[in-house]
Amino acid sequence: MDVWQQLFNLLEGVPLTLSISIISFLVGIALGLPLAFTRIYEKEISFAVDLYEKIFRGIPEIVLMLLFFFGLGTFFPLPFGSAFFVACFVLGLRSGANQSQIYRGAIRGVGDEQMIAGQSIGLSKWRSIWHIMVPQVFTFSTPGLGSEYALLIKDSAYVYVLSGLLEITTRANQIRQSTGDFITPYIFGALIYIAITFPIAYSLDRWGNRRKKKIGL
Amino acid sequence: MTDCVMEAKHVYKTYCVKGEKRKDVKVIEAVKDVSLQIRKGDIKLIFGPSGSGKSTFLRCMAMLDIPDKGDIYLGDQSLTAKGVDLNKARARIGFVFQHIYLFRHLTALGNVELALRQVLKLPKEEARKRAIAALEEVKLTDCIKKYPSQMSGGQAQRVGIARAIARKPDIILLDEPTSALDPELTGEVIDTLRDLAHEGTTMLIVSHEMPFAKEVAEEMIFYDEGHVVETGPPSLFFNAPNTDRAKQFMTRIINRTTRE
Repeated sequence: MDVWQQLFNLLEGVPLTLSISIISFLVGIALGLPLAFTRIYEKEISFAVDLYEKIFRGIPEIVLMLLFFFGLGTFFPLPFGSAFFVACFVLGLRSGANQSQIYRGAIRGVGDEQMIAGQSIGLSKWRSIWHIMVPQVFTFSTPGLGSEYALLIKDSAYVYVLSGLLEITTRANQIRQSTGDFITPYIFGALIYIAITFPIAYSLDRWGNRRKKKIGL
Repeated sequence: MTDCVMEAKHVYKTYCVKGEKRKDVKVIEAVKDVSLQIRKGDIKLIFGPSGSGKSTFLRCMAMLDIPDKGDIYLGDQSLTAKGVDLNKARARIGFVFQHIYLFRHLTALGNVELALRQVLKLPKEEARKRAIAALEEVKLTDCIKKYPSQMSGGQAQRVGIARAIARKPDIILLDEPTSALDPELTGEVIDTLRDLAHEGTTMLIVSHEMPFAKEVAEEMIFYDEGHVVETGPPSLFFNAPNTDRAKQFMTRIINRTTRE
């Protein structure tokens, strides 16, 4: 395999890396947003959110993946037998814990007065959250969200421990095994990761800064 | 049965402020046994020293702060009773904040439209029409597409007023609507309030704008240390208040105004 073949082989892994990271990111939003608001506005159950965050930030992703895929996967092949599902599931849960913390800071930054104003016009608590807080919280969270997404792209590399997911790192490993070249595939891999994470983090920051300027945060 | 638009009966509210040490908890009695009736078309003005609890009382009226004791009525409906849908009640009460609190991610139009769309559930076209009408009423048609950060304080507060009046509430509560503004911008807000007064809008206003009070208020309420010290028509306060505390306060405020 010459270097160009190696490169193209790795590039074929990009869609899988992207889809794992995007799905995990979306799962993270779907979990993180309600958790962050629950933690702040539903005091009685905020301890549960805290517990969730501590658990999923405290256990290495790789351990969770192995546990879910080889452990649960044996008993429940659907859905835990699917490496793709386990990858998105574990990274999504972890990202939910991270994003909850990011959003919590942003909610404090947006300020309680926006909630009070929302309730003063007759919106309920959760509808104020949806219509008034959420759009501002996203803007406020952009630098943190950018690095969280970059983190997911990097962490998608962990799935090489699960068999059958041919994303970038798994492919680099295969190339090393078949060619004995343990420098080129990894350097190419590193460059591809940079090429993906950099523009995403950059454009998210730019979008956030422009929005912030507009709404005067 | 009463013809009151809103009524407060023996309302109490205390809150705690944490001191520097953990143990230091100061209990502030912001509202102590305050009762008040507002009839349709009434304009009443609450004034008094800062920190006396006027704003807390006003927030209790809108149930944005829940009173510890006492009752608030909106028409015949008790808002302090158990199981009341406060969101529905608040939809019938307009509230204007001292620090304005416009929704920063929405334009002037968006700010006014939100309650019409999401609370009154009006169809898009009608909500827009009514929002524009409200913005016309506060003379802000040129700012419709501006975000709060692009407006002056006076413009923003007028949007705040438009947001409160657009859904045609039974009453509007205004918490020091001009005191956070530059002195030269208070005029435009006062003009807007004057227009509302002439249209017969029911209003309860916390304010120290004395010339405005003299002009539009039927009743002035002097509020100090958590309770109503004295009530009466503006003429009473401007000539000879009964209580020493009110006399003192009026002298100070009138001196200040003439010095300016």
